[in-house]
Amino acid sequence: MSPRILFVAVLCCGLFVSCGSKSGEKDPMSQAAVVALSGDADNFNPVVSNSSTSSDIQGNIYPMMFDVSFDMREGKLKYGKGLVNSWEHANDGKDVILHLRTDVRWQDGMLVTPEDIKFSFSLYGDPEVASPRRSYLESMIFTDGKFDVNKSIEIVDDSTMVFHFAKQYPLQLFHINLSPIPEHVYRNADRKTLRSNPANERPVGAGPFKLEEWVRQQQITLSRNPKCTLPYPAKLENVIFRVISEPTTRLTELKKGTVDVMRPVYPDDVKDIQENNPQIKLLTLPPRSYEYIGWMNIDTEEYHNSGKVVAHPLFGDRRVRQALTYAINRKELMEHELGPYGELAVTDFSPIFRWAIKHDLIPYPYDPEKARQLLRSAGWSDSNGDGILDQGAKDFEFTLHYNIGNKRREYVATVVQKELKSIGIKVNLQSVEPVVLYQNIEDKRYDAFIAGFSVGLAIDPAGRWGEISNPFNTVAFANRRIQELLKLGLHVATERDAGPFWKEAQAILHQEQPCTFLYWIKDIVGVNRRLKNTNINVLGVTDHMWDWTIGDPNSYMTY
Amino acid sequence: MLRYIIRRVMSAVPLLFGLLTFTFFIIRLAPGDPVSLYIQGDVDPMYAENLRNALGLNDPLPLQYVKWIKGMLSGELGVSFSKHAEVTHILAQTIPNTLLLTFFALVFNFIIGIALGVTTALKRGSATDHVVNISSLFVYSMPEFWLGLMLILGVSLHLDLLPASGMHSPMARFLPTWEYLWDLLLHMILPVFVLGVASAAATGRYMRGSLLEVINQDYIRTARGKGLSEVLVIGKHALRNALIPIITLLGLSLPFLLGGAVIVETVFAWPGMGKLTVDAIFARDYPLIIACTLVSGVMVIAGNLLADILYAVVDPRIRYE
Repeated sequence: MSPRILFVAVLCCGLFVSCGSKSGEKDPMSQAAVVALSGDADNFNPVVSNSSTSSDIQGNIYPMMFDVSFDMREGKLKYGKGLVNSWEHANDGKDVILHLRTDVRWQDGMLVTPEDIKFSFSLYGDPEVASPRRSYLESMIFTDGKFDVNKSIEIVDDSTMVFHFAKQYPLQLFHINLSPIPEHVYRNADRKTLRSNPANERPVGAGPFKLEEWVRQQQITLSRNPKCTLPYPAKLENVIFRVISEPTTRLTELKKGTVDVMRPVYPDDVKDIQENNPQIKLLTLPPRSYEYIGWMNIDTEEYHNSGKVVAHPLFGDRRVRQALTYAINRKELMEHELGPYGELAVTDFSPIFRWAIKHDLIPYPYDPEKARQLLRSAGWSDSNGDGILDQGAKDFEFTLHYNIGNKRREYVATVVQKELKSIGIKVNLQSVEPVVLYQNIEDKRYDAFIAGFSVGLAIDPAGRWGEISNPFNTVAFANRRIQELLKLGLHVATERDAGPFWKEAQAILHQEQPCTFLYWIKDIVGVNRRLKNTNINVLGVTDHMWDWTIGDPNSYMTY
Repeated sequence: MLRYIIRRVMSAVPLLFGLLTFTFFIIRLAPGDPVSLYIQGDVDPMYAENLRNALGLNDPLPLQYVKWIKGMLSGELGVSFSKHAEVTHILAQTIPNTLLLTFFALVFNFIIGIALGVTTALKRGSATDHVVNISSLFVYSMPEFWLGLMLILGVSLHLDLLPASGMHSPMARFLPTWEYLWDLLLHMILPVFVLGVASAAATGRYMRGSLLEVINQDYIRTARGKGLSEVLVIGKHALRNALIPIITLLGLSLPFLLGGAVIVETVFAWPGMGKLTVDAIFARDYPLIIACTLVSGVMVIAGNLLADILYAVVDPRIRYE
């Protein structure tokens, strides 16, 4: 047999085999959805997992205490029945009494008990475990600086437990809503090495889905958990998460129909999809991430050397920070980079929290003349005529840092350099590798930088604008009234009670401009229309994934 | 020969140890905190400190080094910081994927490269020679990233002939063995082509030059003068000597077998060593970086050793004592 005939024969055999499979057999993709991810999961233990992929998936594998949704009209979280059937507050709101379902079983047949929940919280609160969700417990009961699980969580009977808090506050249910893990699986696990416990790769859950297969860097396959007794069983047989880090490849798979859900679609691709891919619907998520230019408020050299808080020689004056915001055409930047998928940021209070937003704050317009006036009033002038503002021997010159490889921030940096030059400020640009950039920002090593921030699902600005030492107060902003408002806003009975405090905080932030808030980013999600009942919202792409169904079972593209 | 191989392997041990020690210190002295990537806005600042303790990053550097040496001597490569699993377990999942991709890319590279080189050398100065030479330069100049994306858009999206990415279709594990392998083959075609085609162009150029040099030698003229057929002259006498430089190339290409190909793996979502190594570097995942260095180091040494051995096989004048 000549090589040519052999090659043709092999191809024909392959085609025969691949075509033959479709006759008479049910295509497994007829009841499966495919989600494209940019990164892999790290593990499936909700106590220690870090990655957003793990978080998205775990909520479907493990039982949740509540079925949480976000009411966009009201701008707040809503709690429905999950593992918890009903709940009530007692002891002036400091105690939350939970009435649990008693029919929920782990995949291995064992009942989900209050002991499982208490055991899980003991892990969440153990410093040796180093859970990234340990902060959820900080308003529960601590003894000698350590989370006291016995004082915080009381088991009354098989279906009742009480969570004791040190104070009443709006986020109590949100902080209780941590996924429990089965005690019988992890009871003897070494807490120091919990992060790498092999059981984390074979999760025993009780949620609507179970982990069928995890091939690292490739694919995570979930299948319907037929034993799920929670009030939200899965409708689809399988949901498959594929790891595709390259955005163009991800988009190609979405266009081909081999991927059903993809996030994010970039604004530049929207027009092409709308014109050429009618099978894809594009959903815009309400914004939870913003970008900003950080101006260091304090003299970091002094702070690191002596611990003293002294105003930054360039950005310590509020008028200078205001001038910088006036001098940057944020609207044009946003329109260039995001088009209609951006929203000008006034402060860092996300527009999704409608009830807490101070709507009468007007964004700083682009006004270079106003910027010059403010700088003059702050004592900056071009005394030697070299085109750069100065105060005696000191020129207004600084280095703006941003992460390498981020095209949007590279563009922002270039425009900022040009616009500030026009008002007499010399900006040097420095791109930095992301790991180094974030470390230096958190350590307060930079005078100026471009960064982004994602806000949580409930308002808690304590980390961002609290103590200077907090790594997330990246610009070392210290304002006494803000500190008071943080305490007031986080110690009220309901979220709405905090509204006036948050509105005052926004007014101060707007006035002080601790950083220049650029824009909120509305993520775009591409969804194949064959997928029905998707409720993709601010909680994430996989929120209420158990409700997904397939419209046309023969619509998946196969080879 | 066996004594030579044993001596080379033994001398590789301190070399590898030095390489890993150097890597151990260089990555720890490099700026960037492995923990910083995991800290988000709503995370307790103490978390970073607890995590550093849990990962042993707060230990003094000499103590970390001693712990690492102890681990290495007992065959433990440690636990990945970013993937939270034994490094050996991660490598065991990744290495076969890389071997599969790069092995076929190497085969493609050498078969096509040698064929092109022989053809152009034998038809020197002809239209075929010119077309192949220009095409080779064109292909060699194309960035893999661009070529990969163009093939995905052209062959996969518009012509709809092949899958765009990944190793398998999502539900491939339910397929019978033959269909599973067929599915794998379809997924391999584009990445293997992109990975192999530029190297094949280069190999072809080397082969052409090497064969041209050989076929002008006296012993080839003698062989022709003896009346041997052209197939025998080229196949038996010329090709064997012309292949010696290609063997050097093969030896140098061997580390690439396990080192993987970052760009192709990224574009085609192929879960291999190249992507794993780059991700580990960006995440400052020290144990995983060292393990990937170990794998690459072993392959460099093995590649060179293999090339030396193949010299002796191909060229009878070379003897190792």
